[in-house]
Amino acid sequence: MTNARPTRRFAQLALVALAGLGVLAQAAPALAQGQREPQAEQFVQTRAQRVISVLADKSQSVAQKQATFHQSIDQLADVPRITNFVLGKYARTITPDQRQRFAPAFRAYAESVYQNRISDYRGETLKVTGSTIRKPGDVIVNTTISGGQLGQPVQVAWRVLGNGGSWKVVDVQFRGVWLAITQQQDFVSTIDNAGGNVDVLTKQLQRDAQRPASR
Amino acid sequence: MGAYMPDAGARLEIVMNGEPSRTSATKWRARARGVAFIAAGGLVMSAASAQAQNASEESPALVQAAPPATLDSVDAAYDPLQGFNRGSFGLSMGLDRVVLRPITHGYMAVTPSPLRRRVSAVVYNLGEPSTTVNDILQGKPKRAGRSSARFLINSTIGVLGIWDVATGMGLKAHDADFGQTFGRYGVRPGPYLYVPVLGPSNFRDSVGRVLDFVTDPVGIVGGGSTTTFGASRLAAQTIDTRARADNAFRALDDATDPYVTARSAYGQYRAAFIREATREVQALPDFDDNIAADPVAPADPAAASPETTPAPSTTQ
Repeated sequence: MTNARPTRRFAQLALVALAGLGVLAQAAPALAQGQREPQAEQFVQTRAQRVISVLADKSQSVAQKQATFHQSIDQLADVPRITNFVLGKYARTITPDQRQRFAPAFRAYAESVYQNRISDYRGETLKVTGSTIRKPGDVIVNTTISGGQLGQPVQVAWRVLGNGGSWKVVDVQFRGVWLAITQQQDFVSTIDNAGGNVDVLTKQLQRDAQRPASR
Repeated sequence: MGAYMPDAGARLEIVMNGEPSRTSATKWRARARGVAFIAAGGLVMSAASAQAQNASEESPALVQAAPPATLDSVDAAYDPLQGFNRGSFGLSMGLDRVVLRPITHGYMAVTPSPLRRRVSAVVYNLGEPSTTVNDILQGKPKRAGRSSARFLINSTIGVLGIWDVATGMGLKAHDADFGQTFGRYGVRPGPYLYVPVLGPSNFRDSVGRVLDFVTDPVGIVGGGSTTTFGASRLAAQTIDTRARADNAFRALDDATDPYVTARSAYGQYRAAFIREATREVQALPDFDDNIAADPVAPADPAAASPETTPAPSTTQ
């Protein structure tokens, strides 16, 4: 046990540091109200389950899955709104021409990338576990995805916007990470590095979408 | 079972362990081995935390929705060391490609996933005592009880952690590390830091990793990387974590700016992990807030919701 002494010293340091930090402890803010939004939950249960089922279906070929995914994605997600969101600050300055080129490039890229992402997890069954209303028309639906190749269930949250019987997903969260938010930071940085030229990103997306699947 | 931080602790363990009182030859050997392990193992961290969306694990209280709240959260990255960090990221990803990825893919090719899950379970089990230490420091006796009971039960009835029987008894797994402990007491992350080879971090979590190492009960009892046990544990952790993070690596490959994607994902993942300890709820900004002004005409007006029109821009 040659390292016992430094270890103890570090442990003591840690305790001292923590004792000091304790003073800074903040009160935990009140938790969100327990309101749920059954229609949004129902929407996610049905539509997201459908997409997952398509991708988990072993009887379909890859091409078939792609076609079905292409069709079902509009029923699940608000693609135009996400397209705008991922541009971040550049959504305000993009020209109509640039937008016309960007939108289809993003769509093709997103379809291929998100199909890969969802397939990576190979879950089969989605179960809604609850929801929270951020404000009217803006709801987080919490789900658990299990089965298939998953060793343990994965918790996934869906941000849905809409009202009444009409909802669309705008973002999805795994393990704390929101996909659209991450995508936005990725894209904005790429455009920043291209001196603010959105077309550079568009070209990159077109290249990426044509890249053969990595598996 | 996200034993990310214990992994980091173990890796740092080498850094530290190279130092104390040995003959210079032994010291050198230990250090050389340490460097090799770090080179391999550290990359794991990048992936593990980079995307932090490991399929085979469950994170308690993953997501809470935000109340109608103030603009906050989704912290803009604080990255004053970006030049250094980008270089470090490039180096680390390059090393992963030539060293760790081939090894890991080989491992994944020859082992069926049920077997890999058992390896993960053993590795995870050895991280439980470290979780307990942090549970206690966070003033969470119930969680400390849970993690220590899990360790006792899974190490015995579960045969050295191979089987997670504790979960079946209602003792669900959770993670804790010093970064989280600091966060629980209000310490901010500080500047983002891509530690060469070790992976994404920040000032707070880097200090946390060092403390995770020096306080890891299993490391203290079982010895560092200089013992057979310590070295085997480290090797298993490294490969296991890299394998579980393989999806995250794929995700990075798809990014247009992988560096920023890793940074963003790491930041969000850690923020969520710390909210787990503070019981705070994520205060998401309105979806369109940072865009404002000029939303695209929705192609599907039926689905567009009028009441979520963007609030006045805060970014301009």
